[in-house]
Amino acid sequence: MNKKAMLYDSTRCTACRGCQVACKQWNDRQGWNYSHTHNTGSYQNPPNLSPETWTLISFQEHQSNGDLKWLFLKRGCFHCHDAACVEVCPTKALKHDPVTDIVTLQPELCNGCGYCSQFCPFGIPHLESNVLSGEGKSAKCNFCQDRLANNEMPACVKTCTADALSFGDWDQMVALGESRVEAAKPRFPNANLYGANILGGLGQLYVLAEAPAVYGLPENPSYDVARVWQEIVQPVAQISFGVGLLGVAAAWIIARRHIRVEEVE
Amino acid sequence: MSWQLKDSSSVITIRWIPRYDGMERFLHWAHTAAFFPLTITGMVLFMPLFAPLAQGEAGQFIRVTHRVCAVFFAAVPILYAIFRPRRLLSTLRDLRLGHYDIEWFKAAVPYYLLGRHRTMPPQGRFNTGEKLNVIVLVSGTILFTITGLVMWFGKGFVPTDVFKAMVIVHDLTMIVTVNMFIVHFYLAVAHPLMWQSMVSMRFGMVSESYAREHHSAWYYGEERARKLYEEKKAAAIAGTAPEGEHA
Repeated sequence: MNKKAMLYDSTRCTACRGCQVACKQWNDRQGWNYSHTHNTGSYQNPPNLSPETWTLISFQEHQSNGDLKWLFLKRGCFHCHDAACVEVCPTKALKHDPVTDIVTLQPELCNGCGYCSQFCPFGIPHLESNVLSGEGKSAKCNFCQDRLANNEMPACVKTCTADALSFGDWDQMVALGESRVEAAKPRFPNANLYGANILGGLGQLYVLAEAPAVYGLPENPSYDVARVWQEIVQPVAQISFGVGLLGVAAAWIIARRHIRVEEVE
Repeated sequence: MSWQLKDSSSVITIRWIPRYDGMERFLHWAHTAAFFPLTITGMVLFMPLFAPLAQGEAGQFIRVTHRVCAVFFAAVPILYAIFRPRRLLSTLRDLRLGHYDIEWFKAAVPYYLLGRHRTMPPQGRFNTGEKLNVIVLVSGTILFTITGLVMWFGKGFVPTDVFKAMVIVHDLTMIVTVNMFIVHFYLAVAHPLMWQSMVSMRFGMVSESYAREHHSAWYYGEERARKLYEEKKAAAIAGTAPEGEHA
């Protein structure tokens, strides 16, 4: 396996949102509410990830020591090594690429159940489904798998003007991230590398200017409930059905041998 | 209800006692008719083995089917409460558990396995096993409905932790109810001594002898049934149980 990773350096990002546009263009995604754009009081636009928006620069105003900071972050799939979405997906539409460890989503297999959107510790996959019938498709970033296959960089990396995005082998990206953190320390004393040590190593690494909690990122995300569900509840259910059916079959055989209906009734 | 042949020397007279009314039987079978497709479609989504059936358009059809059947499944207890409120209350009263229920369990194993039932403790309109089945199915239906509604309409609106808890509770409920159903199905359909339970759910009647044997507290009244039971138990211990009398 040749695990790949993307490194996003928030200390370099200028929030031009070129990555958002490049992503939509390459992956053929609609603009959100294209004809009715409205001001939500923020440069962050659209306000959230959606099946049509796989990457999004979030804008945050953060106050510390009387200082106002404008924090940017590129939101999107983290491509966890231990991925809750892959674990809970009942259709196997979500899986790891065996070579790059990227979490891919095969839309024609997805049945729109939405478990991925609920069990993802970061709330990344989104669906816009019919409330009554539940029909819809999950969609999320796949690191431009089709471009990687042709030795091209993901569209967002390719287009980034501030050199805030890098893509390559996971080990190299971690090393690069660590050196970037060191370089950023004089200006951002709280700078840190996010994602190298959680959920088996994230495919999307961040150089953060502030502590993860400031960005609303979990310090130590887990997917215990998904694990309990898939690794305890499911096997217990299958064993119990087997025991139940075999027990009843055995009871039936014993009853047929021993019970003479005429005598009992 | 009874009927008689002219030659009364060779007559077998069966008196039939009403046990379920038409609405109860209709709702029972409506619940069954919803339960089967719900179980099948649920398993497709639940069991990794069936993942190929859960994919894409087929999977969406499975999910819609699950929701349509769920509406009927959840409607059954509500319809029972609307159309038969007094029978619902009396049924709920009949579900109370007492100390005879523990004794019943001890006696049930040799009875249902081997056909020995000299000392079955007195039972009301429902015996302990039936009570347990109804309690599990009714509370299961309520839990399925609550968790299912949250999973259906709450996705994206309720906190994800709540949604996740609902999924787990839905599945645990399913484990208990499906196993209960396996036993219920066996006893109703396959057990050699229980053919009358099928008759009672189809036609609403049980024979007098069945009622006397299996629901003596319902047939005789609680006090008399208890007295008969204690007498019989004492006789069994003394080894002088009357021949051919099982009641």
